[in-house]
Amino acid sequence: MNCRDVDRVLIESEKSVTASLPAQAQGHLMSCERCRQLVRALEASGGAEAPSPALLLQLERSLAEDLQPVRPLAPQRYFLAAFAAIYVLIVAFGVYRMGAFAFSVMSPLQAIVTLGALAASAGVLTSSLVQQMVPGSRHRIRPHYVPAAVMISLMSVMAGIFQFQHEQNFWRQGWSCLRAGAPFGLLAALPFWLLLRRGAILAPRIAGAATGLLAGLVGTSALEIHCPILDAWHILIWHLGVALLGAVVGFAAGFAGEMAARNAQSAHH
Amino acid sequence: MASREHADDLLQETWLRIHRVRHTYRPGEPVLPWVYAIARRVRVDGYRRTGRIMMHETAMEVLPERPAQVESGNSLSAFDTLVATLPEGQREVVTMLKMGGLSLDEVARATSSTVGAVKQKAHRAYEKLRKLLEIRPEGGLREEINELP
Repeated sequence: MNCRDVDRVLIESEKSVTASLPAQAQGHLMSCERCRQLVRALEASGGAEAPSPALLLQLERSLAEDLQPVRPLAPQRYFLAAFAAIYVLIVAFGVYRMGAFAFSVMSPLQAIVTLGALAASAGVLTSSLVQQMVPGSRHRIRPHYVPAAVMISLMSVMAGIFQFQHEQNFWRQGWSCLRAGAPFGLLAALPFWLLLRRGAILAPRIAGAATGLLAGLVGTSALEIHCPILDAWHILIWHLGVALLGAVVGFAAGFAGEMAARNAQSAHH
Repeated sequence: MASREHADDLLQETWLRIHRVRHTYRPGEPVLPWVYAIARRVRVDGYRRTGRIMMHETAMEVLPERPAQVESGNSLSAFDTLVATLPEGQREVVTMLKMGGLSLDEVARATSSTVGAVKQKAHRAYEKLRKLLEIRPEGGLREEINELP
């Protein structure tokens, strides 16, 4: 057993350090002065009193009882369903307004991969947002990384599945796509925000970026079904640009909200 | 923490916020990570607010006389002094794990992180603590810790 193994034991052990160390770790401590010092230091931390199980139970009960006058937050699956329904409805509305011309030029593989990647990205973002609504939730991916991870994954998939071509009228056609997709993102942002307001968002900037990106993906999805241009540059810059724009606007909105709340608190103090 | 008053303000703000968002507590879920997550956010907001206020404060030409040190009874222990030298994220994890008695999963929940990330931070913190304990001069903190039962 080496110092790293001792670390692992210490990290996974209960609060009382030495009492729970296995014989192998104890043996290492005999020979390693550095680890011995560390264990002593951690043992010295035992001064702070952790709340007793009885107190925690009392706290849990009083919180649960106190939930009666307020409307408790609905289970996660309702929020997941609500986010999904809004997403699908607005994309369907967008396709109804603009038409589905992309499917006639895409190969079945391109259609499946594109829509699958967009659906998976929306699923990851929705799941992260629903978890962020409840403080102390278990996160599979750290919320701070989710928007960037989703964006990079989507860009990689699109770059892999579509070919880079030389497109005429790149800027004009791209600008018209951006203008067509962005309003659907904006349309989705409002109901998403209304849903999020039900929870307790502790990091508005992160939640704002994720919500903006999700709303932007609504516009991107509508464009992916509508736009018959299959140039990878066009898709990466103009279609995914709608999602990126949404993330930036969402982040800025979260930042503004955070500042407004802090100003209000400062004034109160 | 800047002062005892500041700590009291933050504590009060934490309870107010807990009361305001009490509908988000899901019965059956562990209560401590929920409380810690809210308290953590209040502390971050408090730091930022204090920082902004200090930025706007104007420097005085003559400093007022410092009041005599009052024995507050909350002097830092040897462990606190040692842990205070760690980076914020690592300090938070070690404190929650070893002082708060939270499990890895609970710390991950409280810090909006993953269990893997918590383990990594704790490992780095322990490595840093080992180095700190090595370089401390004799008669300093290391000896103080050795004297503990």
